[in-house]
Amino acid sequence: MIFQVNHMRKVRAELISRVTTTLLSLAEDGKVDSAILPHLHVLLEWIQYRSNFRKTAMVRKSLKNGQPSPSVEIAIDLRQVDEDSLPRILEAAAAEAASHALVPSRVVLEPFGPMRSSMIWEFNKLYWQHRIEWEKATGKGYENALPSGSSDGHNPDAIGDQVAKFYDLVADMDDRGQLPERLYVMEFGVGSGERAHRWLELFLQSDRSRGTTYYARIRFLLCDYSMEALEGALELLGPHREVAEPREVDAMDPFRALSDLRYKVLYVHLTNVYDNLPTDDAVLRDGRIYLIEVRSYLDQADVDDLCRDYALDAETFPDAVRSLLERGPHALDDPEAGVRFWMALWGKLQLEERMVTVDSLSDASLPSGLKSSHLEELVTSGPGTVRFQLSSGAVGSFAGTIPLLHPRGYLEVMDIFVTELTQYRGGFKGPGKMDGSVVNWVNGALLAEVGRQAGYDVHFKPFTYRPGSRTSILYTTHRES
Amino acid sequence: MELPILPTSVVGSYSMPSWLERLKTEYSLRKISKADMDEVHDAAVKAAIKDQEMAGLDIVTDGEMRRDNMIDYFAERLPGVEIDHTSKQFYYDYFDSVVRGKLPIAAMGLVDDLNFLQANTDRTVKFCVTGPHSLVKRIKNEYYPGEAEFALDLARVMNLELKELVRAGAGWIQVDEPYYSGFPQDLAWGVKALNALVDGVEARIVLHICYGNRYGKPSWAGNYRYLFPTILDANVSELTLEFAWRGGEDLEMFKEFPNEFNVGVGAIDVKSDDVETPDIVAERIRHALEFIPLERVVVLPDCGCHNLPQPVALGKLRAMVEGARIVRETLGA
Repeated sequence: MIFQVNHMRKVRAELISRVTTTLLSLAEDGKVDSAILPHLHVLLEWIQYRSNFRKTAMVRKSLKNGQPSPSVEIAIDLRQVDEDSLPRILEAAAAEAASHALVPSRVVLEPFGPMRSSMIWEFNKLYWQHRIEWEKATGKGYENALPSGSSDGHNPDAIGDQVAKFYDLVADMDDRGQLPERLYVMEFGVGSGERAHRWLELFLQSDRSRGTTYYARIRFLLCDYSMEALEGALELLGPHREVAEPREVDAMDPFRALSDLRYKVLYVHLTNVYDNLPTDDAVLRDGRIYLIEVRSYLDQADVDDLCRDYALDAETFPDAVRSLLERGPHALDDPEAGVRFWMALWGKLQLEERMVTVDSLSDASLPSGLKSSHLEELVTSGPGTVRFQLSSGAVGSFAGTIPLLHPRGYLEVMDIFVTELTQYRGGFKGPGKMDGSVVNWVNGALLAEVGRQAGYDVHFKPFTYRPGSRTSILYTTHRES
Repeated sequence: MELPILPTSVVGSYSMPSWLERLKTEYSLRKISKADMDEVHDAAVKAAIKDQEMAGLDIVTDGEMRRDNMIDYFAERLPGVEIDHTSKQFYYDYFDSVVRGKLPIAAMGLVDDLNFLQANTDRTVKFCVTGPHSLVKRIKNEYYPGEAEFALDLARVMNLELKELVRAGAGWIQVDEPYYSGFPQDLAWGVKALNALVDGVEARIVLHICYGNRYGKPSWAGNYRYLFPTILDANVSELTLEFAWRGGEDLEMFKEFPNEFNVGVGAIDVKSDDVETPDIVAERIRHALEFIPLERVVVLPDCGCHNLPQPVALGKLRAMVEGARIVRETLGA
């Protein structure tokens, strides 16, 4: 048995000690199957998001070539665990670790598969489609759920600096006689349009105050997957609508919809988009790589409660979930009850995980945009044992955005980034739940490697415009070396 | 070997396999011996030649498989250039290199690579060299009064090597000068350096100018208007330019500025993994023929295939060869 402590806080130190002694006592009492002990890895960690998909103790079995393999992991969330329930939780986890059977007290909602394909992302989509109904039920807007109570993307000082940087680039190109006819600027995930409006307003002011006429050349591309959001944002732009153009774009595959702009865009901005895109997780341990597969489930007791509260049939409960995902709150006759059902279900939804051994990265089923060479460099130079995110959606988005950049263009992303693989050893960075959406930290180290291999240096700087902000600013420069 | 109308070729580099990239990086980190790396390079060159032959190209190169990039291969061979061999982590990066005194004259050893190429194919071969303007943009100059003087002296040294290549049988020599497009203000002295480089070199001299293809993306923006009329002073037989991804608008300039150049028409987009159909290639060639006489057109990709996966590169070259054949057939040529 190997203990791995990924997080240490003073108040938890004693608890960590209790976890180890309790597990050893259970082993002594024969309550941990001795057959699993040589292969048992016990992980003590801190889950970043208070609201998440994990139980206090999570068992991860492993597969190799489609068959069960002896390696098994029990991951314990030091944030949730308490001394009183510790023996019971650990005994149950040890029993689950030793068993090949499905845990009988769970209602499984989907088969095991890559995390990026899990139904949690359908719930995420549902939230963005029906956010207004959710907000009406909770009485608070999405931004209230953010740690700062508002989006860092709207920070006026930050936008002012972003405008100044872009203006300097344009003026320099003008000095060199390289000013293109059109100055393409792009924002993914436009929200209400508030940031775009402020950006255009400040750029126009800069242009006028310096006696230049660059504003007339601006083509501001508002990109979002929701036409409804785009129409709302356009409306907010007022007179700046003249230089704006809405584009319906899948953030995970922007090149598909925007290939006409290849090598033309001077500036691309995203705020809090990557952290909301599907991800996969991988584990690096003893020189071996595992990909994490997941399946969604609910505890039988929670299903019983939901069925009772919303007059649903327990036998067909998975169908009711499917109907909710397809039709939204209107899946129930009373849409308000539909929202309540959705919220209650979301709150109870859990993920079961298993680790799938990867023999060769080049043969692994990696997400779009990710090549084995990106991971090879990262894992050979990274820490020996670590679980990290593949940030599948973010990588796809990043890889599909950089071919749009003009030779002098740059990408700027404000989000929550892990900038070195070793930072993953300090805690579990998601997925978590933020209102009805899924949220993750983003593997910036991996994005940097993807960028490097595509000819871009990727830099990170802290978002200094709000004290205590966890936001970082990723920006690209063209690789010169 | 007699070439057909609309002969086909590559610009220089062929698809760099990921296994070779790994080995090159390990070699640059001193984990592989030179003898082993030479063997690996020989095998890779043979494979690159084979693919070009299978695609049906009329003129082939060694795929530039021995080169880490377009600068270091020459910087390491140029006498008087000091290299910091610890200065790169990945083979594709550039070495830190510097010139601290007048360049001496010495052989660069390019003939060995030409001989290997000629020994492994019956096709017409082309040997590619990076031009002096591009080299001075990456090799630090701590001796010459300016870049123009540095480039002229580089040309003097390299000119002797080019003559050696001709003695060894080189009939086609291509000079790559992508940095012209990044520094159009340098063009006048850039062309002077080019002319010094090819002075007395009795081969068909091709000048390749693009907007950069490092990492498979353009390094600069703009159009070829900056080349004219200065480029008309270049003592070269052929200008090889990119027209596939950029579109063919710049072809107009060949009517606006009458000249005798053969034109290598870039008809394959090497910045995209989408394989063109032969008909698309044929259409691009036909468009070029509206501006350039048939007998003066050579068909190539826009730039090197270095960044393309091998199946894509081979597919694109096959489409290019077939596209040229379609046009020939249509024209009865």
